[in-house]
Amino acid sequence: MKRFPKKATLALSLLCSALTLALPAEAGEKQAIKAGTIITMDGDPIVDGVILMDSGRIVAVGASADVEIPWDAEVTEAPDMVAVPGFVEAHSNNGMDRTNETIDMGAFFDVQDSVNPVAFYFEDSLRYGITTINIQQGNQCVVAAQGAIVKPFGATVAQQLVRPHAGLKMSVTAKRGKSRATQAAALRKAFGDLRSHLEKLVDEHKKGDDRARREALAQGRDYDGEDGKGRAMTGKGWTLEGMENIPRVEIDEKLAPLLKVVEGRMAVYMYCGSPAEVHTALNIARENGFLHRMIFVLGSGCFKAADEIAAAKVPVILSRTLVHTERDPITSEETLTFEAKVFQDKGVAFALTSNNSGLESLWYQAALCVGQGMARKDALASITTSPAKILGLENRVGVLKPGADANVVLYTGDPLSVTSHVNLVFIDGQPVYDRSKDVRLQHLMDGEQPKGTAPSDEEEGEMHAGEGPSDDDKKGEGSDSKGDK
Amino acid sequence: MGLLKKRLFCTGLAATVLTATTWALPQEEKPSDDASIFVEVLHTSTGDTLKNVHVTVKDGRIDTITAGTKAGENSVTGAVLTAGMIDLSPHITYANNAVEQTNELESRLSVAGALDLFSPTWKRLARTGVTTVLVTPPDRNVVGGMCAIMKTQGSTDLAKRQLNGQSFLRGAMGDAPSSGNRPAWGSPDSIYNRRPTTRMGVEWEWRKAFYDAAAAGEFPELEFPGADVFRAVLAGNVNLYVQAFAMLDIRTAVFLKEEMRDQGFGEMNLWIDGGSESWKDAQLLKRSGSGVVLAPFPASGRSNERSFMAWRVAKDLAEAGIPFTLSAHGGTRPGTTIGDQAGRAMHGGLDFQRALNAVTIEPARALGMEDRIGTSAVGKAADLVMWSGPPFELTSRILAVWVDGVLITPSTPQKN
Repeated sequence: MKRFPKKATLALSLLCSALTLALPAEAGEKQAIKAGTIITMDGDPIVDGVILMDSGRIVAVGASADVEIPWDAEVTEAPDMVAVPGFVEAHSNNGMDRTNETIDMGAFFDVQDSVNPVAFYFEDSLRYGITTINIQQGNQCVVAAQGAIVKPFGATVAQQLVRPHAGLKMSVTAKRGKSRATQAAALRKAFGDLRSHLEKLVDEHKKGDDRARREALAQGRDYDGEDGKGRAMTGKGWTLEGMENIPRVEIDEKLAPLLKVVEGRMAVYMYCGSPAEVHTALNIARENGFLHRMIFVLGSGCFKAADEIAAAKVPVILSRTLVHTERDPITSEETLTFEAKVFQDKGVAFALTSNNSGLESLWYQAALCVGQGMARKDALASITTSPAKILGLENRVGVLKPGADANVVLYTGDPLSVTSHVNLVFIDGQPVYDRSKDVRLQHLMDGEQPKGTAPSDEEEGEMHAGEGPSDDDKKGEGSDSKGDK
Repeated sequence: MGLLKKRLFCTGLAATVLTATTWALPQEEKPSDDASIFVEVLHTSTGDTLKNVHVTVKDGRIDTITAGTKAGENSVTGAVLTAGMIDLSPHITYANNAVEQTNELESRLSVAGALDLFSPTWKRLARTGVTTVLVTPPDRNVVGGMCAIMKTQGSTDLAKRQLNGQSFLRGAMGDAPSSGNRPAWGSPDSIYNRRPTTRMGVEWEWRKAFYDAAAAGEFPELEFPGADVFRAVLAGNVNLYVQAFAMLDIRTAVFLKEEMRDQGFGEMNLWIDGGSESWKDAQLLKRSGSGVVLAPFPASGRSNERSFMAWRVAKDLAEAGIPFTLSAHGGTRPGTTIGDQAGRAMHGGLDFQRALNAVTIEPARALGMEDRIGTSAVGKAADLVMWSGPPFELTSRILAVWVDGVLITPSTPQKN
């Protein structure tokens, strides 16, 4: 047999493993899980319970005595395991090939065009129990792309989609090459540009100029739908008289998503890296009427502006640095602040962010919160129900109740314990992850190379020679170091 | 002492100022090193687990341990008590030029002379439950010098803080001592115009040092400054502590030890610092009788110097009967501390008792100080860590730390 180069074989097999993970045999519509414990996030945990799923939705959750399993359901027996709703990543830049477009006004971009379903990130997410991810552009932006809420499973983005066009990313923190003031000016300019564009349309329409109409028709835009008609502009910030006469399809496509923001019809994920920028973000949101649709994506230290954020009732997605350290340069005194608790105490809705796509995933952050003194149910809520609410999916994800998406994670024990592992994951009622078949986890745990990707016999022999430090063996080290390069 | 009377659970503030409350006091006012502690569970690090335990501390030492009892009137109470943790590779930072690095063999120098006892690092470490550390010189040259065994808190007088400065000689395999070195083109313009420039050169420096030191009795011209330390290593009187992460470097270190033995120069006590890839051939370590101070567990498996650290490595070493300890490399943020490393070892399959031993009694043994530190027993130094729940779980945290009986304020508050 012809031997593949080592690296190629490894890549090939990892690709294959990704594909097998992504394309399991279609399981039956009706699935039932019998679990030792079910943490529903909707009331008390259920001991010895059953989760019944049909056509991708949960149809019943309850004690095994109360839920009758239909004869034609496929049953997963997990008497020693703990079932939890799949965790919800409220904001992530992972899964995109690269995370930032450089232009200031990028509202017409769509992260769907950048999401790669075979990214290892999605595999990692399943491995650590995440079943819903809000993918947004990176923080180096002014007005950035429209995000997408996806599940970490599917062969194409279309199959992964939970909700397209899920909010617009913005940043009030200076991107590279900008100062704090020019960043704020650029953010305001985006809305100013929208306003002048709309004013121009209204003005042209009054004068009887049909340039915009001709252009829209030339581009083949659809006048049949709702947007083919004019509609009075709504909005809590500012509105424009005369918009009722402008068919929405005539608005510049580059700016149209921003109008949705001003009208409060699209969420905004506002990155704010420093407490100094919170007030600017709040003001711009007020001026343009999207305060009630804004979610802060915070950098470490923003807890200092927690009062302002609480007063504005803006939910927050916390940075991965859970404990903020500040050192007084004169006295060397260090002040440690557990940021989540500051927001919690002030009644701000908050969600956690994974520290990385590996072990330090959402469960890990929640466990650290418990370690810092947060109640378990609150810590679990901050990776399930709370991010679900922030994403507007509170009836679908982050909870195990009838009607919700059938996203269930089976843990070998307490989901927040270091000794537990994710054993099985269901998304939309289909088994999508099985730890016993996870070759990459086996590699991480045991160091065992995925099958078929082991180094050549010669190298392996050298590495495992244990006969003694003979001269031959010494020479062997040369080839070892080659392998290290 | 008022602070002791307070139940540590009760603090409800969001932020705690980490002032050095105890040592900010004038020197003559010695902080109290008596304490009364009550916990639901005491893990002794000798295999015992006691319930409802009252521990008293007198003059910095554990005075009494009474199980199955009630809290004393002024006891500090918490859920779990363990011995203070010991990190043999704390990566305590100091200026790059703290130790001479223009000479490849600096066995005459000790890192103790370069330490800053006023650095906040010590307190940060103490708050994560680390009460004793083995401080190593930087690994910019092949043999950096002598290590210092230090308490993480206590006197700012080096002589009082240091437990021993003559028991470990530090050096490195791998690419650290040679990276950045280059031959001079024309006239040298930097201290980095030097050899070695590869791992081969590093290994050659090691062997030359030992051969020269061993042969200097017969051939006095081979004597070099600091050769006596190498002879002490060969005689087993000084431990050799070698940084090596990748298996090729672990092998080089182990073969060095075995070559010296086979030459009849002596049997050195070898400790590998890092050992990320020791899972690849645990039997080699077992055969050579070396010990391992494991590097922190990387989330991705990728450890230092391009080595791959499988999470089962601690379990493997335990099952092979190889002495090993865990290290956080100075990590003090939540999730990176030595307790968290023990948790990760458990994630990789190590049982709790062995994880506890690997951060308490095992490193104490490695230091040769198991009679003083590393266990919670009467007469031992009162280096103690109080936890809010099962140790090493991310969901638990450290409520209080005592170093030689002196209470270090807890790191962050807890609301109950």
